Amino acid sequence: MAECKGGGDRSPSSSMDSSTHPVLSTTSSGCQPARRDLSTDLHLGLSLSSASSLLAPDTKSIPSKPRNQVPLDWPPIKPFLKRTLTASARRRRTLFVKVYMEGVPIGRKLDLLLLDGYDSLLTKLCHMFKTSITYADVMEYHRRVPHEKAAYVLTYEDQDGDWMMVGDVPWEYVSSLPDKREETEDCKNG
Amino acid sequence: MIYFPEEVVEHIFSFLPSHSDRNTVSLVCKVWYEIERLSRRAVFVGNCYAVRPERVVRRFPKLCVLTVKGKPHFADFNLVPPDWGGYAAPWIEAAARGCVGLEELRMKRMVVSDESLELLARSFPRFKALVLISCEGFSTEGLADIASHCKLLRELDLQENDVEDRGPRWLSCFPDSCTSLVSLNFACIKGEVDSASLERLVAKSPNLRSLRLNRAVTVDTLSKILMRTPNLEDLGTGNFTNEFQTESYLRLTNALEKCKMLKSLSGFWDASPVCVPFIYPLCHQLTGLNLSYTPTLDYSDLTRMISRCVKLQRLWVLDCISDKGLQVVASSCKDLQELRVFPSDFYVAGYSAVTEEGLVAISSGCPKLSSLLYFCHQMTNDALITIAKNCPNFIRFRLCILEPRKPDAMTNQPLDEGFGAIVRECKGLRRLSISGLLTDKVFMYIGKYAKHLEMLSIAFAGDSDDGMMHVLNGCKNLRKLEIRDSPFGDGALLGNVAKYETMRSLWMSSCNVTLKGCEILASKMPMLNVEIMNELDGSSEMEENPGDFSKVEKLYVYRTTAGTRGDAPNFVKIL
Repeated sequence: MAECKGGGDRSPSSSMDSSTHPVLSTTSSGCQPARRDLSTDLHLGLSLSSASSLLAPDTKSIPSKPRNQVPLDWPPIKPFLKRTLTASARRRRTLFVKVYMEGVPIGRKLDLLLLDGYDSLLTKLCHMFKTSITYADVMEYHRRVPHEKAAYVLTYEDQDGDWMMVGDVPWEYVSSLPDKREETEDCKNG
Repeated sequence: MIYFPEEVVEHIFSFLPSHSDRNTVSLVCKVWYEIERLSRRAVFVGNCYAVRPERVVRRFPKLCVLTVKGKPHFADFNLVPPDWGGYAAPWIEAAARGCVGLEELRMKRMVVSDESLELLARSFPRFKALVLISCEGFSTEGLADIASHCKLLRELDLQENDVEDRGPRWLSCFPDSCTSLVSLNFACIKGEVDSASLERLVAKSPNLRSLRLNRAVTVDTLSKILMRTPNLEDLGTGNFTNEFQTESYLRLTNALEKCKMLKSLSGFWDASPVCVPFIYPLCHQLTGLNLSYTPTLDYSDLTRMISRCVKLQRLWVLDCISDKGLQVVASSCKDLQELRVFPSDFYVAGYSAVTEEGLVAISSGCPKLSSLLYFCHQMTNDALITIAKNCPNFIRFRLCILEPRKPDAMTNQPLDEGFGAIVRECKGLRRLSISGLLTDKVFMYIGKYAKHLEMLSIAFAGDSDDGMMHVLNGCKNLRKLEIRDSPFGDGALLGNVAKYETMRSLWMSSCNVTLKGCEILASKMPMLNVEIMNELDGSSEMEENPGDFSKVEKLYVYRTTAGTRGDAPNFVKIL
């Protein structure tokens, strides 16, 4: 695993507040997330690395109100559509994945079946964690074009217990995993 | 003209196409007023509380087509508390007493009871068309009465209503003698329908042109129905789930191929990707496609379908289509006039798979685009400027950036210049919704350039009262102004009070207007109803700031000849 170089100046703080998630508590780290959750099939991890960089400029915007003040009557779509989409979400097959940012005990969850590839996964995670994230393909590209910026690296722990970079396995294979198979993905400095 | 016989004047009036033209001629003189009112067939009431139903019925005794709208538009987004009002009963009762020739009733955002539907069904022997949009308060039993008693029924169109399900009986209530159905839309009915009744109904309706089914209708039933409707132009399918037999879908394709006139498709509830190719034979003739109820289709499923729809004029889709998919739309659908892209994922705040890139692609590929509703997670001024240049024909432009107050994604600047370009280039713009980080400057542009603007929706925008003043002073044709979570206060509210008499309504919620300001407005303008709504739990705001300077949570102002309404609930105060 690549060692993290000088990644310490970038604290993995990112606010994970949202209108649907509780505020992050900054107390205990170090305790491993429970792996007994049967509804989760994969654990992804975000770990800090300065060896890679992300090309896109930081498009993070600073909201003038904290996340948990975004109103419940937003976005402005009709109740019929909202009800229909929520009901559909309950009906269809899902592949929920837990994602933890290194050093942060409370994670996020997302449904891989709603995404159409690694790029989508990356975009969504960047949005959720408000930070730059890279994976296999993008890291290769940026080794040729070195940059200053530090970024998080997306990793997972496979069934052999090895830490792997996300992105080498074709997406179709990832999203057709049978349920209940636990491939835990952990966050790591590296 | 005053020397012409009345019949001649009446005949001349019959060529006037619009309500406003007829309203204008009725003001010329008493004779014309009388001729006009006695020959008027269609009346449009934009705000049910602007005029008393009895007065309308008395003035227009020959009324055949009545359209009434109730709650303000923001009621669609849960901003208007339940039981606010908008009751249909007074209208139906007044019509039952005074205009028994009524043939068509169209209502939007109103509360309609089963009793009212029964009264409607029994009171008008020539009744032909009922259209209810975003209404509530009735059940399938009320529909049973309509079906049973309206012998000449041509149109039963239920769009996105909240209907209580009391069983499928209603569909079998159409008598055998009822063969006149042209349009039937029950997509919003939640429960089961009886397939046999449905097939029987379709079999005896040779004039059926538009049929929108609900989620409960299976593919097999749909195939059987389609064999009987060769003249169908508009179809809303039932469900297209995964549990299917290939034969069912092959039968469906077969049936669809017989519908040579079919131009518009919607429904696709829970459609699984494997079902989609069975629709392909139809795609080349489609002008309208609504896929907004199908989050299960991803960008590749959607683009494979849409790339075949070369004649498409109207597309409603979810943001699963992504920017890449919108590029495919742009290169395939050159006749596109209306596009709506809805957000599919509410669980990640502010996230969407579409950005400004998708919209820029559409604007450069589809120059005929005139109507847009676009939810996205970011936008830039450059993109909006490009879009404005590419598509100067916008009539409706509604952009919703999912994260409130989000600035330009490249420059971090407000989006004032981008929207400024839209209002400057699109000279025919009638409806506008703005979002993202916006200062008073955008309102200066809107007031200066948007001369034909009729409806403006503002959320989380502006810096000061000046913003709202620009709009009130500049937009000469403004009819509806709705504002939420913006820093406009009493200064703006009272800055141009005469303006509100030229408008249908003003809505302000979570702004800075105070009780005192509203009271002043009400006292200066007796022809307006000034309604304030605070939360039923006794609004801590009112307690913390007792007296007149407490902030008003929700304000709804509208012109009216009807005075204070008597049906207001206790959380609504009319000043």
